[in-house]
Amino acid sequence: MVKGRINVLEEYCKSCGLCVAACPVQVLRISDRINSKGYRPAEQFKEGCIGCSMCATACPDAAIEIFRIED
Amino acid sequence: MARVLMKGTEAIAEAAIQAGCRYFFGYPITPQNEIPEYMSAKLPKIGGAYVQAESEVAAVNMVMGGGSTGTKIMTTSSSPGISLMSEGISYIAGCEIPAVIVNVMRGGPGLGGILPSQADYFQATKGGGNGDYRLLVMAPSTLQEAVELTQEAFDLALNYRNPVMILADGFMGQMMEAVEIKEHSGDVPDRTDWALGCMGDRGGKRSLLKSLYLKPEDLENHNIKLQEKYMRMQKEVRYEEYMMEGAEIVIAAYGTTARIARSAVDNLRERGVAVGMFRPITLYPFPQEKLRNLPPSVKKVLVVEMNMGQMLEDVQSAVCGSAPVSFFGHAGGIAPSVKEIEEKICEIRLT
Repeated sequence: MVKGRINVLEEYCKSCGLCVAACPVQVLRISDRINSKGYRPAEQFKEGCIGCSMCATACPDAAIEIFRIED
Repeated sequence: MARVLMKGTEAIAEAAIQAGCRYFFGYPITPQNEIPEYMSAKLPKIGGAYVQAESEVAAVNMVMGGGSTGTKIMTTSSSPGISLMSEGISYIAGCEIPAVIVNVMRGGPGLGGILPSQADYFQATKGGGNGDYRLLVMAPSTLQEAVELTQEAFDLALNYRNPVMILADGFMGQMMEAVEIKEHSGDVPDRTDWALGCMGDRGGKRSLLKSLYLKPEDLENHNIKLQEKYMRMQKEVRYEEYMMEGAEIVIAAYGTTARIARSAVDNLRERGVAVGMFRPITLYPFPQEKLRNLPPSVKKVLVVEMNMGQMLEDVQSAVCGSAPVSFFGHAGGIAPSVKEIEEKICEIRLT
């Protein structure tokens, strides 16, 4: 089972929520933090990321980095 | 099925159903309203679904979604509606998703008029949407041909994983002719290696259909792959030659205009004028080879269209100076009359 982890480039995120909608295992949400542009960036809030990179593909601002952890 | 008298739009709808199309996402626009109406009445009864989208933009995106499963999906519209769909069509082509799109052309540009035209030739063949994509474009001339081409369009769309466009006009949409619509099941490839919803059948491998390739080399390779497909598509070229034996003047026309031109050819031949007609059936791929190699008897070419001169440019390019190319057309929903075409032929004979 491929495991993964994402990193949101918080200054690029504009809170559109497309990543949250795209994630098949629902490990993403919009956080309470505010970036310097006034947007609340997305974040991975629990384990379970499968490294599918749908969030990164859906992100219109290329604000997500994907890390795959191969066993 | 026996021969029945049917309206063009309804015949196209029934043809699609007989070809196995069960899903239609559309929007009304004159002169093709009967297609969504027919589909909304019939599809729920046969286990299919009809969705009237909130706009043509939504409809074409639903087609992209539905088509991504490798299912036979169709939408129809008319000129300004096709403009609205053009972005979606570009995406469908970029993602290599099969779809059948029918354009029942009306006058343009802009809102134009509700009467027929052929003014979307450029839009259909040179791309209404952005990017280096092509549609396989087929233009029927009779309702029976419209039925057959609509049915084949589904096979072609699935074979090439490309949107296929049927270019009809308001005359064809609204007229009634006797048609025979048979159940049609064409030769289509297995979709499990690429379609959504088939993950189990390809060992759990996911499929991602997208047109976004941010790395320049990836996008270029994708475009090269698409062009190679369009090269393979060239073999689908179709045309009809009418009374071309010994013809000195050739009329190039398609769709409804070709029917009118055919009558002009008959009348003129009876009067001893050596005229013939060349009717492209696929507008893309365009039958350029045939037009490049016209018989030596041909001295002049007349292009007749219901627009201000669009296929004219492809004919000029194909004929490549071997004969002078003239044009006769009408816009606004006016059809050229048989008499007008005859008079134009007689005029260019003397020049």
